[in-house]
Amino acid sequence: MSSSSWLPVQLTSMAHNVDLLFYIMLGIITFFFVLVEVLLITFLIRYRRSAKNQVGVNVHGNNVLETVWTLIPALILVFMGAYSVRYVYEAQNPPAKPLVIEVIGHEWFWEFKYPNGLDTHNDLRIPAGQNVLFDIHSADVIHGFYIPEARIQQDALPGRITQFWVNVDAKDVGKQFQVPCDQFCGAGHPIMVGQMTVMSPDDFNTWMQTELQKQQAKS
Amino acid sequence: MEAVLQVPRRSFVREWVLTVDHKKIGIMYGVTALFFFLIGGLFALLVRTDLLSYKGVFDAQSYNEFFTMHATVMVFLVIIPMLMGAFANYLVPLQVGARDMAFPRMNALSYWLYFVGGITILLSMVYGMPDSGWTAYPPYSLTSQGPGMDFFVMAIHIVGLSSILGAINIIVTVHRMRAPGMTWNRLPLFVWSTLVTAYMQLFATPALAGAVTTLLLDRHFGTVFYDSSAGGDPMMYQHLFWFYSHPAVYIMILPAFGIISEVIPVFARKPIFGYHAIAYSSVAIGFLGFFVWAHHMFVAGMQMSAGIPFMISSLVIAVPTSVKIFNWLATMWRGAVEYTVPMMYASLGFIGSFIIGGFSGTIVAAVPLDMHLHDTYFVVAHIHYVLFGGAVMCIMAGIHFWFPKLTGRMYNEKLGYLGFWLYFIGTQVTFFPMHLVGLAGMPRRIASYAPIFQTWNQVATIGSYILGLGTIIILYNLMISAKYGRKVGHNPWHARTLEWTVSSPPPEHNFDEIPVVTDSPYRPYKPEELTASKESA
Ligand code: HEM
Ligand SMILES: [Cu+2]
Ligand SMILES: [Cu+2]
Repeated sequence: MSSSSWLPVQLTSMAHNVDLLFYIMLGIITFFFVLVEVLLITFLIRYRRSAKNQVGVNVHGNNVLETVWTLIPALILVFMGAYSVRYVYEAQNPPAKPLVIEVIGHEWFWEFKYPNGLDTHNDLRIPAGQNVLFDIHSADVIHGFYIPEARIQQDALPGRITQFWVNVDAKDVGKQFQVPCDQFCGAGHPIMVGQMTVMSPDDFNTWMQTELQKQQAKS
Repeated sequence: MEAVLQVPRRSFVREWVLTVDHKKIGIMYGVTALFFFLIGGLFALLVRTDLLSYKGVFDAQSYNEFFTMHATVMVFLVIIPMLMGAFANYLVPLQVGARDMAFPRMNALSYWLYFVGGITILLSMVYGMPDSGWTAYPPYSLTSQGPGMDFFVMAIHIVGLSSILGAINIIVTVHRMRAPGMTWNRLPLFVWSTLVTAYMQLFATPALAGAVTTLLLDRHFGTVFYDSSAGGDPMMYQHLFWFYSHPAVYIMILPAFGIISEVIPVFARKPIFGYHAIAYSSVAIGFLGFFVWAHHMFVAGMQMSAGIPFMISSLVIAVPTSVKIFNWLATMWRGAVEYTVPMMYASLGFIGSFIIGGFSGTIVAAVPLDMHLHDTYFVVAHIHYVLFGGAVMCIMAGIHFWFPKLTGRMYNEKLGYLGFWLYFIGTQVTFFPMHLVGLAGMPRRIASYAPIFQTWNQVATIGSYILGLGTIIILYNLMISAKYGRKVGHNPWHARTLEWTVSSPPPEHNFDEIPVVTDSPYRPYKPEELTASKESA
């Protein structure tokens, strides 16, 4: 289980990178947050009106200051943006020869189709240490396929395929995580939660085969 | 025996219903918006009450209707009409030195359209409420059962029309009806901000009308705009919707910024710092506001890298906003700050809280971080820090600031401070924890949730009750003070904009003689003028 009030565990190296980006940005904004709050409180206290007809000093502005507090935030913000670009492409471009799992949103469950034809409901299993690519779409309304521990999501749309990929660390084999639907999709939206299990590649292959046989035996 | 002059009483219908006086229309807008604030607030409390338990207290369908109604009412019937209907209507003609709006009858029409739009939403509470969120994304909104969605679409249409008419009125009034000497450089900053906002309303609202009209056509007339099996594309709706609704978030904050630019110099007794920077940054926000809409759609099916330009524009739009913050702070620097209720809302209440929303905005604007945080409670925290910590705090600053102008009486100060502190504390307790559960991955718009999130949700719910209590106290104070408050002169704050030069409440046609403006409203204060004019008139 993830902790309840901060970033969840990092399942992938990409999650690690995203968190790093988050902490860098958090550091910068905390600095400015503290700066503004301290100035605000200081000015409120320091310049409190003490006499009824007291007035403030006669200044209308200052071009140097104005330039400084336009340029500095602009530079920092553009830096944040530029710094983020690399991660966008990293997340966007799937690595070569991934294992492809098809994800289909339904009102209200997740359907997963594995390469060997196996088809499950709300039961997602992925092999650790392998590149897994999700091909995501929807059978009805828009859903949101979201793996908080991998720090990534894409909407599941009807008539359009969205994708993202993960490569889960081997240290997490055996652990289970929840994959909620996070795009509002009606009355069943809150209970539209899949269960994701991380397996070793061998276990994963065995599981895929035996499950498929069970499914075929049933039908 | 107070009444000196016996004016023959006019009937309620003549006095209010048939009025074309911008001040009365402004007050009608304000009272109606406060009424809807209570309705929207009630839905908010229902939403928060449901989340007291991780299992949810109400059934999911009711919950969905509650949060849809909450947001729809708050956005379309409270914040926008309050700022652009009530404040702008009341203040713009007075502040530019005009006797009324350019088109007084159209002004009345825009109020009554808003009223009818509001009734439409109220009717949906009887006949079936919409349940698709205020964003109403298809295909879900197409499949949504009952008449709720249709009421929603009708209401948006009517309110949208009202908003366009109101915008035209403000634009023409500011361009054509300024008093002699009211140059652009002397224009009060509130007027600057409403002018920019009016342009945004004018250009953005038609996109919303297009979005909801196509919804209606798809629902009832067999078109397939959003039916992907027939070649339609649901993402098109999101583009149209956000092409309106992103500018709309600035429509909900720019006039509020304008209020702050009026309140802070008066209580710091200093000229506003950086008049031009503040005015032009509003223009910059108005312009840039049209180029960031797709930051709401980073994970909605666009190519991830297509988000990059929108990420950059979204980060850039934070610059003019931070310029304003620094200018407001610099206005307080070496001022003579008085802790009145409006000043508390403007300083600690607004600046102190709003910046959190601005900062979280830059976090979600970064595409890789939004990949994690989109549609989680982190976004809900962001929205509320900008809309509650921002817009609502400014509205409260403005209401208390102009209350003596509207009524000729002062609010009760003790109750005023009490209301402020409840609002300030309530805001932090309600909305801060939402960042935390959002970071941990709690999706938004859910009636029940994983048990690990329960504690922080309960904290947030307690916060919302504090806000509820605060609202009751604030409104009670305004109501009794309008009747029994201490009488004050025409300018109890020593403020400089033109509305403070006329009686409180202002005479029917604002100015017996159109004023000739010779100076900026942000000229420095001199100690002599303060002792002389206090409590006169
Ligand atoms: C510093 C400036 C700001 C930036 C960079 C920013 C950025 C963003 C981003 C990227 C989102 C989308 C997040 C997501 O859905 O995943 C968002 C959502 C939102 N923002 Fe902001 N924002 C800023 C200021 C504001 C202001 C001033 C307001 C309103 C007064 C506002 C109101 C909203 C609302 C209502 C939403 C959520 C809409 C919804 O999904 O229902 N934001 N913001
Ligand atoms: Cu779903
Ligand atoms: Cu959902």
